[in-house]
Amino acid sequence: MFKFAPYVVKGLWRNRSRTLLTVSGSAVALFVFCFVGSVQEGLARLTEDQQAQRTLIVFQENRFCPASSKLPEDYARTVGKISGVRDVVPIKVFTNNCRASLDVVVFNGMPPDQLRSVRDLTLLAGNWGDFESRTDAAIVGRAVAQRRGIDVGERFTIGEVTVHVVGLFRSTVPAEENYIYTHLDFLQRARGKNEVGTITQLEVLLDESADPDRLATQIDAQLKSGPVATSTRSKGVFQRDTLADLAELIGFAHWLGYACVGLVLALVATTTVMAVQDRIKEHAVLQTLGLRPGRIFRLVIAESVLQSLAGGLLGIGAGLALLAWGGFAVGAEGVTIAFKPSLELALTGALVSAVVGVLAGVIPGWQAARTEIVSALRAA
Amino acid sequence: MPLVEVRKLTKQFRKGDEVITPLQEVHLDIERGDFVSLMGSSGSGKSTLLNAISGIDRPTSGEIFVNGRDITKMSRGQLADWRAANIGYIFQMHNLIPVLTAYENIELPLLLLPMSASERQKRVEIALDAVTLRDRANHYPRQLSGGQEQRVGIARAIVANPTIIVGDEPTGDLDSVTTDQILDLIQRLNAELGMTLLLVTHDPRVAALAARQLRLENGKLIEKGREVAIVGAEFHARRAL
Repeated sequence: MFKFAPYVVKGLWRNRSRTLLTVSGSAVALFVFCFVGSVQEGLARLTEDQQAQRTLIVFQENRFCPASSKLPEDYARTVGKISGVRDVVPIKVFTNNCRASLDVVVFNGMPPDQLRSVRDLTLLAGNWGDFESRTDAAIVGRAVAQRRGIDVGERFTIGEVTVHVVGLFRSTVPAEENYIYTHLDFLQRARGKNEVGTITQLEVLLDESADPDRLATQIDAQLKSGPVATSTRSKGVFQRDTLADLAELIGFAHWLGYACVGLVLALVATTTVMAVQDRIKEHAVLQTLGLRPGRIFRLVIAESVLQSLAGGLLGIGAGLALLAWGGFAVGAEGVTIAFKPSLELALTGALVSAVVGVLAGVIPGWQAARTEIVSALRAA
Repeated sequence: MPLVEVRKLTKQFRKGDEVITPLQEVHLDIERGDFVSLMGSSGSGKSTLLNAISGIDRPTSGEIFVNGRDITKMSRGQLADWRAANIGYIFQMHNLIPVLTAYENIELPLLLLPMSASERQKRVEIALDAVTLRDRANHYPRQLSGGQEQRVGIARAIVANPTIIVGDEPTGDLDSVTTDQILDLIQRLNAELGMTLLLVTHDPRVAALAARQLRLENGKLIEKGREVAIVGAEFHARRAL
C-alpha cells in the first residue's frame, strides 16, 4: 500500500485549494472538539478524583456562594475529635465573582503549615520561607499567573484584597493552579473587615478506613447544636453541587463535540466524493493496469484519512497548545474547572480523526472501486 | 496451442428497447509473437473484442483462453491480478496519471508485481530507453507533447513484459509525423522483442503494418476478406507450410 503513497499524496496536492480547505475545516472542528473534551475532562477530574472522594467539605447549610457561608473556626476542633478524621483544615474563601466566569480569581486562606501538608504544591518560583514570614504573602497558581500576568515580587490587587506575591506553584490537581493561597488570618482581616474566628468551610481529611458518607452524617449531627448548621459532603460531590449549573451546560456541550465530529465527516466525505467523481476515468485506468477494486477502495480511504488526520492533528495540536499556554478555567462560587491538555485527549482526537476519515471514505471508495472500466474510459 | 483462443464469443447490450450484438459467436486464435490489427466501422465491436481479450469487459457468452486459462471465469479481483501480469494496454488518449511523472507512470504496473525497488528501477529505465525518453523521466504529462505522452503510455504497457500488448487506436490522437514515430516503435516491439500485439485501428496504414489483418463486419470476424470458422487457424496453417 505504501508503494502508492506518492500517488495518494500527489493526488491530494493536485487539488490543493480543496484539500487545504478541508484540512482547515477539520482542524477547526477538532480544535473545538479538544476544547469541549478538555472542559469535560476538567469537570470529571473535579468530581471523580479519588482524593476528592476521601475528603469532606463542611459548608454552611443551604449556602452555595462562599461569601455567604460563615462557620465558626472552632468547629475545626470539634470535627478533629471525631474518630476517622485525620486532619481538619479551616479555609476562608474569597472570590471576585460568585457567578460563572472564565476569569474568576479565588483566594483560599489557610494556615501556612497546613497548606504545605495537605496540598501537593510545587513552587516554580519564590520560596516557602517568604510565604510563612509575611502575613500578606500569597502564592499563586500558574494558571492564574499566566492569565493575569502575575509574577513573584509583585503586588496583586483584586476586589479590595491586596497581596504580595512570593511564589508561583504548580499542582498535580489542575484546578488548584487556578487558586491563590494566602494566610487564613490575612483573608479574615482583608477588605477592612474583622472576621477572625469565621471561616467559609472546613476541609476534612479522612483515615484510610473511614467511611466518608457515615462521617459526613456524623459531622453534621455533631455540629447541629452549634450556632450554624452545616452540610457536609465529599469534596467531589461538593464541587459537583457547586458547579451544578455549569455541569449541566458542560453536559450539553458534549453535543457540540459530536457536532464537530459530524462536521468533519460531512466535510471530508464531500471532498472525497468530489475527488472520486473527478477521477472516474483515472480509476478505470488504474484498474486496467491491474489494481484490484479493493486496492482502489483503500487508496480512496487513505486519501480521506490523510485529510481528516492532517486537519485533526493540526486542530488537536493548536488546541492543546492553547490549553497549555492559556491557563483557561471556568469557575463559579469559588470552585474552578481547569481546562488542561492531556495525552488522553490528544489520542482520542487523533482516533476520532482517523475513524471519521475511514467513514468519510467508505462511500466514495466503494463508488471508485465499483467503476465499470469500459464505460468510465468511454465517458470522459 | 495458441496464446489466445476466443471461442463463440458473443457480446450483447441493451440500448433502450434495442438489443445490440456487436460480437456474434466470434472465434479467434492468436499465436505468441503475432502482430494482429483489427479494423471495422465505428460500432462494429472491434474495441469490445479488444476489451474482452484484455479482461476489462465481460462477454455475454463464450470463452477466452489466454495461455490456457479461461479469463471469462475469473472474478474482478482475479482479473485485475491477471491483467497486471499479462496485459499491456495502450490507450488512444494516453491516459497517463497527471500527478505522476513519466517515470512514476511507467513504474505503476510494476508496483503490483512482486519485485524489488532496484529491479523496478532497472525495468523502468529500460522501458524509458526503449521509447527514447530517458531525459523526460521526471517530467509530468502536462510537460510532454502528445507523442511523448503516447511513448510513455507504450513504455508503461511494455514495462512489465506482459503476455500480450493491446492498443485501442494508439495513434488516433496523434499527427502524421508522430504517428510514424509511434508506429515504428510498435513495429520494433514485435519485430525485435517478439511481443504479441493486438491493435484496434481505423487507420489502414497502421493495419498494413500487421502481419495479420482482421476486420469485424456485422459481428463476424473476417481475415483477409474471408470469413473463416476460426480466425487465425488458416493463417497459421498457411504460415506453417
